[in-house]
Formats: sequence, structure tokens, C-alpha cells
Amino acid sequence: MSIRDVFSKVFLKYIMQRLGQCVLVIFIGITITFFIPRLAPTNPVEIKINQMMNGPAKIYPEAIAAFREAMNDLYGLKGTIGEQYLSFWKRFFHGDLGPSIFAYPRPVSELIWRSMPWTIGLLLSTSLISWLIGNLLGGLAGYHSDKRWTKWVELAANCVRPIPYYIFAFILLVVFCFLIPIFPTTDAYARGLKEGWNLQFMLSVLYHTFLPALSLVLTGVGAWLLGMRALVSNIISEDYVQYAEVGGVNKKTILGQYIMRNALLPQITGLGMSLGSIFSGALITEFVFGIPGMGTLSYKAILNFDYSLIMGVSIFSIVGVSVSVLVVDLLYPIFDPRVRLN
Amino acid sequence: MNKKLWLVVCAMVAFGALMAYAEIDPNKEVVPGVKRGDTIIIEDPTGALTNPDNFNLWTAWAGGNGGYSTGLQQLAMDTLWYLDPDSGVPRAGVKDQTWHNSLAAEKPIYNKDYTQMTAKLKKGLMWSDGVEFTSTDVKYTVEIQAQNPTMLFGAAFKVQVKSVETPDKYTVVFNLTKPNSRFHRNFTVRWNACWIMPAHVWEKAVKTPADAMTYTFNPPVSIGAYTLKDYDKHGNWYLWQRREDWAKTSIADFGKPAPKYAMYLLDLPNDKKVISQLNHDLDMIHEVTPEGMIQLAKNKWETNWFQGFPFGHPDPTLVAILPNNAKAPFDNVDVRWALTLSLDMTKMALASYKGAVTMSPILFPPTGTSRKYYFDPMQSFLKDFTIDAGKAGMIKPYDTTIAQKIADQARPSFGDAVPKDPEKIKSMIGLGWWKYDTKAAAALLEKNGFTLKGGKWYKPNGEQFKITLFNWGPDRPTLQRLTTMIAELWTNFGIETTALFAQDNGTNQNLGQYDVYMGWNIESWGGHPDMSYFLDSWSSDYYTPIGETHNGRNQIRYKSAELDKIIGEMFKSDFDSQKNIDLGLQYLKLTTKDLPEIPLMSYNVFSSQDNTYWSGYPNFDKPYANTVTNWSNSRYIFTQLKQMLPPK
Repeated sequence: MSIRDVFSKVFLKYIMQRLGQCVLVIFIGITITFFIPRLAPTNPVEIKINQMMNGPAKIYPEAIAAFREAMNDLYGLKGTIGEQYLSFWKRFFHGDLGPSIFAYPRPVSELIWRSMPWTIGLLLSTSLISWLIGNLLGGLAGYHSDKRWTKWVELAANCVRPIPYYIFAFILLVVFCFLIPIFPTTDAYARGLKEGWNLQFMLSVLYHTFLPALSLVLTGVGAWLLGMRALVSNIISEDYVQYAEVGGVNKKTILGQYIMRNALLPQITGLGMSLGSIFSGALITEFVFGIPGMGTLSYKAILNFDYSLIMGVSIFSIVGVSVSVLVVDLLYPIFDPRVRLN
Repeated sequence: MNKKLWLVVCAMVAFGALMAYAEIDPNKEVVPGVKRGDTIIIEDPTGALTNPDNFNLWTAWAGGNGGYSTGLQQLAMDTLWYLDPDSGVPRAGVKDQTWHNSLAAEKPIYNKDYTQMTAKLKKGLMWSDGVEFTSTDVKYTVEIQAQNPTMLFGAAFKVQVKSVETPDKYTVVFNLTKPNSRFHRNFTVRWNACWIMPAHVWEKAVKTPADAMTYTFNPPVSIGAYTLKDYDKHGNWYLWQRREDWAKTSIADFGKPAPKYAMYLLDLPNDKKVISQLNHDLDMIHEVTPEGMIQLAKNKWETNWFQGFPFGHPDPTLVAILPNNAKAPFDNVDVRWALTLSLDMTKMALASYKGAVTMSPILFPPTGTSRKYYFDPMQSFLKDFTIDAGKAGMIKPYDTTIAQKIADQARPSFGDAVPKDPEKIKSMIGLGWWKYDTKAAAALLEKNGFTLKGGKWYKPNGEQFKITLFNWGPDRPTLQRLTTMIAELWTNFGIETTALFAQDNGTNQNLGQYDVYMGWNIESWGGHPDMSYFLDSWSSDYYTPIGETHNGRNQIRYKSAELDKIIGEMFKSDFDSQKNIDLGLQYLKLTTKDLPEIPLMSYNVFSSQDNTYWSGYPNFDKPYANTVTNWSNSRYIFTQLKQMLPPK
């Protein structure tokens, strides 16, 4: 694809269409996320009151009524839902996601920025590793389907694939934290260490996050492997592959250029989608292994009906998925000449 | 299996055993410079905090989502009085061991019409920064909160306190807006209360009253025996160190707290806490599932409340079925009794806690000192109690054989752990409950015009009698199982019941938009018979119709002139008086007849302790404190512990 192609009118129109779709999806997604928690039969003030009634403060009916009024005022829940919606967009365009309701007065953005590196670190690396290993093994298993080792690999993938990643996490936890206790059960790094870009801290993080990463990689590899294997099995019987083999084209070239390249197209879309979704975190893995990432943050936000935090986490997730799909759409012509042609 | 594989498996098992053994090491460090043998490691069930840097526990958002139990309220905070939910630590010459004058020197002193309360304070108690605790601190605590109604006790003080006077350094006089014989509840710990602020610290940091809501109180200045040493910026753990001058804190009344350090771990899912304790990395578990408890109880180093079956500490909390008394047909006492008699307690006990329950036939938790004050005195009334079950005649529904039946059915699961002595069984499982009598239940419904067609009950207006049974949500598995069993029993009886597990945190309940709820609205002090702790908001003065939010615990919308009279008398009587107990008995008799809700059992908490590094935890035979770790009363446990493996 030449520069001229890229900036051709048709392609610019294609970009604008995709961009428009992306903005619309983000707008609708955020709007739905704004309204859903507010239409639920509870709100953060009532949750806080119920927590108080079961704990900290003694119950005095007049005091509870006064508390309810003051909290609604403080959290900006006094206006109509429409007024709250408009005020949200006003703040959004100023880059302000507001204070978290339950971590008041800490800004939502601060909580997200604190959690984001943990999720990106865990999920970006595991997504890429599992994608690479899974596709490579899947491609080889599909092409060399008559070999004994490919059958074992396939069997292993078939065993791992149906196991939900969180069950795998629990299995690893029991095996390597209890039966053979060589990994820690808690924390993302050794207690007492200060966070920083130094070797001691990095090694500690790697040690503490090894099991959650392993649970994600193993289940991820299984899924990519089986997908790729199925794609390759189909492509291998295509006429152009048969002709290439009959024509004596080098086997490596056939596998790399004729088969894998074609089979990779849907896998790239899948990778884009999975990279986009990392912004919402791997909730259960993070929870099980005590990783302070976006999944843990979302869990707390939903549990407490923290409207502002739910919005903040969802915005990142919606934008992440939408932008990833957009990027994949825009990159597709590079990988697939058919898209370029249309 | 071939030889090589066998070797690998054997090597792995040996390595695992070695690693597990190696875990017991008092010299290993929990954080750099802090040895395991000097540290007690405790579970805080709160869950990881979103704002762990915030130690301002006078706001509703401390720590992000309830950062009170990180050790902060147990070890660093203090207030005027403590009431133990169990029997309290024995002290020579002290008659009432459940009551502790903590920062106060004596019990609260009220004037004749209860419009004024005086608190005399102890002398010589010191904040961790070396400043003496005085009446100025108490006055500041009340006044700053009264100016901020979103602070935890702000609204209560704004509504109740006219003014606070400090005639001298050790006396505080509270002038109240109206007669209130229970004002001291604000400063009396059950699981917590209003903690006293160090005025000298707050006055410097808080320039305007509104600053009090955003001030993080970090690092916290302590009036307890420990100070903060370190904490995780992600809110997963907090480490506290014993103060050198611990003798200048109120806990010195009980002796020196044994652990030099205390670490609180947050955010531990059930499996992880079981694994951590099996690895000796967690000394005190707040709560595990019954299955986790059974697994832990197999080990000799483990202790729990009963040192065996039924394991769990009965919290002073009554698990009950809460029918909406303002909604037909639940507004009919016969229907409520029919619902009760169609329940089989044996099945409910086995389904929820595998039989490890402490049941209650009356509307009060069967825990702490309640047997002496209420359960024993109520027995003759309960045995004679009759109800008119229509064509089934006058029936006596009370059954004293249920505890034995539960014990017999639990024995196949727990073996010899289940006691055989009938008296012991009764003291553990309960004195009795209501008969499973579906004939009487059917007769009660028929008496009120209900009809049975094709195995289903129909209301007098011809509609099918269906119930939606709400449960509080996913975080209490025992109650979920109980809810499912209740739904099954009612459905089998012919009342189609749908169990819903909704995380609505009581909003529907407060609005009265429900049929029947499973949960609790009755909690007691545990160590004291006073019922005002839960009963004040049951007065019809605070009654709200369906659709309007109820501010209190009478979400069931029960209304009774007789109860109003009891509550009125209660608030005019002294907290410690015999009259207060007599009024409590009147309430129990009234609510047995009216049965506004169906009492089931105490909320049993399966707390587990590891005796490897520390021993001397409270239990059924030495019930000096509650074993649950998030209660601030757990500070007393520290004074009774013995260090088992001192580091070198």
C-alpha cells in the first residue's frame, strides 16, 4: 500500500466512517453506563447508611435522616438524573471524572492511574505471550497434523481450553501455594518494599505475579492454539497451497507466507479485541492473587455502587475496546489486500 | 506409572513437605526488621481499601470502603466505655466484667430527667505523641462532628447535643436536646463507637469545619497501645507496633499486650485464608465457610470457639425471616405463624451450617449473657404458649427436642465432635424452637380463608399465594443456603416461593417494597441485656408506610401500641436496672404472640486461630472476648495471649 493509497479519497472516507462509528459507540457506551447504576434500586448513600446501621454509628432515626440529606448533597445526587447527566459531560470534557464516592475525596482518575499499570503489566504481557505461543503452536500443529507431538499439544490445549481462567488460578494457588508452597499467596510484591523502577522491586513483582500470569497464559494459549489449528487445517486444503506444494515451493515459505499469513487475519482481530478489553482487568485473577489492578478496582466500585468510579473504569474499558477495534480496522488493509481493494 | 514419573512425584511431595515444614520459623521477617515470632497476623474482612492513606475514621468513607478494622479501631483508637459481647476479661474486684471504663473513670452519670450526662475521665492517659488525654479532646470530637453531619456521628450529635461543657481537665458534661437515657451509647463500644480525636492534632490541621471531612489523619496519633509502623499503599495490609508507653493507655487495666507487632491482612478470599493458616501465615481468621472450618479444625494447632462442633462463635446478631408486616397477607399474625410452622429447623440447620447452629425461638440473639437474662426466664412461658390453629385446635408449638435432633443428624458428618450430654447440646445448639407442624400451619391458613388446590395454596381473593424471598447477596454463603432451604420448605408446603439473591443492600427493605427478607435487623450488646440497641427505631413514631424510606431497623413495619409503651418505658429507665430487663421480657412475650418476624438463629461466625506462634485465644470455656477480628473489642485478646515461639 503506497502513501498515495493511504491518503486516497476512498481511504479517507473509510477512516472517517470508522472514526465516526468509534465516537458513536463510545458516546452510547458511556451514556448506558451512566444510566444503568442510577436506575438500580439502590444508591451509594443508601449503601453507606445500611453499612452504618450494621456497624459504625448507632441508630437514631432522626440522625439517619439528617445524614441521608447531607450525603446526597455532598455526592451531588440531589438534582434530577438529567441534570446529573449534563453535569457529567461538562466535567468529562474538562478531563474531570470527579471524586470517588467511597474513596472521597480522592479523584477517580488518581485511583485509575494507580491501578492501570498493574493491569496493563499483567494483561498486556500475558495476552501477547499467549497470542504468540498459541498461534505459533497452532500453526505448526495444523500444518504437521500427522506428527505425534502435535497430537499431544492438541490434547493438552483441548484439556486446558474449557477450564475457565479463574478455576485455573485456584488450581495453581492450591498446588503452588499450599501443596508445594513455593509461591506467596498474597500481595503483588514483597511486604515492606517501596514501589520503584529498581531491580529488587521488579523481581519481587515478577515472583508475586508469576502464578496469575501463568493461569492467563496457559488458558490463553489453549484458545489461540485451537483457533489457529482449525484455520490452518482449512487453508492447507486450498488450491493455492496444493499448487505451491506440487510446484516445489519451500515448505517454510508455504507455512509462513501461504498459510500462516492468511490464517492470522481473524487472529489479529481477536488480538485487537482482547488488548482493548484489558482495561477492564481480569477481575477474578486479580482478586484471587491480590493484584491491585483495574479488575479489583471495578469489583470494589460495583460492590459499593460508586457511580463515579464505575463510570471512570467503564470509560477506560469502552474507549479501550473501541479504539482497538478502530486501530485493527485501519490496519487491516495492510494485512489483507482484499480490504484494500474494496 | 513408570519409575521416572514416580521419582518426580515423590520428589515433589518431599519438597512440598519440606517447604511446608520450613514455614514455621519465628525468625523469618514479615517485613524487613520485623520477625514472625514477634508478630500476630490477623485477617481484616473489610477487603482491600481504595483509599488506604486515609485514617480519618470519623467519616463514612475512611479508607475508601470502611477502613476501620485495619487495626486502627482495635489498636490505636479508644473511647469512654466498652461493653464486651461475651463475658469480658476477669478482673479482681470487678463485679461486671463485661463493662470496661476505658477512657472514662466511671460509668456515665445522668441527671434525673436524662437531659444531661456527665463523664468523668481517667487521669494520666497519653496520646502517642506524648500529649495528655483530657476533656478538651472529647469536647472537640463532639463539636467538630456536629458541624459536619456527613461525619459518622455528626448527625447524631447535631440532633442530640445542645452543648458540651468541660468544668475541668477530667470532666465532660453533655447537655442534651431532649431526655435520652441512652446517650452514652455513642461512646460505648459494641463493635465500635465514636472514637475520641486528639484535639491538639486536629485543631492544627482543620482550619474550617469542612476540612474535617477531607483531613486524612495520616499518620494517625494513637491513644491505644499500638502505633502505625507501616502499611501497603494498595490497602492490602497494615502493621502496628506496641507503644513503649503502653502502660499509659487504658488497656493497661488488663496488663501488657503480648505481641510486639500486629499485622492486619485485608482482601483474603476464603480459599486463600485457609491456605494461609495451613501455612501458618495467618494467626487469626475472622470468618471462613463451614467447609473451610472443617478443614482447619482437623489440625491440632487450630482452635475455634467451641474447640470442635459447632465451631462458630455466635455473634449477638439474630438471623431471621423478615416478613413485610404492612403488606397482605403478611400483616396477618396467623399467616406468619403458618409460615413458621411449615419450617423444619432441623433441615434449615443442616442446610445452612451443617447443623452447627445456635437457634433462637424468640426475637433476641441467643448469645453472650442472653441465656441468663432472657432465654432461661422465657422457658416456662414458651412451654405454656398456645395458639388457636382453627380446626387443628389449640396447639402448643414450642419444641424442646429439636437441639437433640440436630445433634443426632450432625453426628454422621462430625462424629464424636458432637457432644452427647443433652445439657451441653442445649447450651450449644439452643433450648428449643418451633414445631414442624404442617397440619397446624394448613389449619391456620384455612382459618383465614386460604384454600389448598392441587397442592398449591390460594389466598381468600382467589390468587395463588406466592412469596418472593430476598436474600442479602453473595457474601454470606451460609445464609444463601438457608434461604434456599426455606424456599424449598415453603414450596413443598404449597406456597410457591422464589429465592432471590440480590445485592440491593437493604434499599428495597427500607422502602418496604418486598414480601419477605432473609437477614437481620436485631442485634444486641451481647454482654448486656439492654435492648435499646436495636429497639428504639421500632417505635411507631418512626413508622413509615410502604414506599417511604424507613430510618432504622423496623423495616418490617411492625406497629404495636403495646410495644410503643415498652419502648417509652425503656428510655425512661436506667440502663442497668432490673426494670430494663423486665421490659425486655415483656417485649419478648409480645413478639412471641405477634411474631412480627420469624427468629431463626444467631449469625455464627466460623473464626479460626492458629496456636503455633500465639496461644490463649478466647473460647466457649474462657469466653473473655469475641473472636471475630474486626470488632474493636478484640484488643482485649492481645492482653491474654502467650508468645509460643520467641525469635532469637
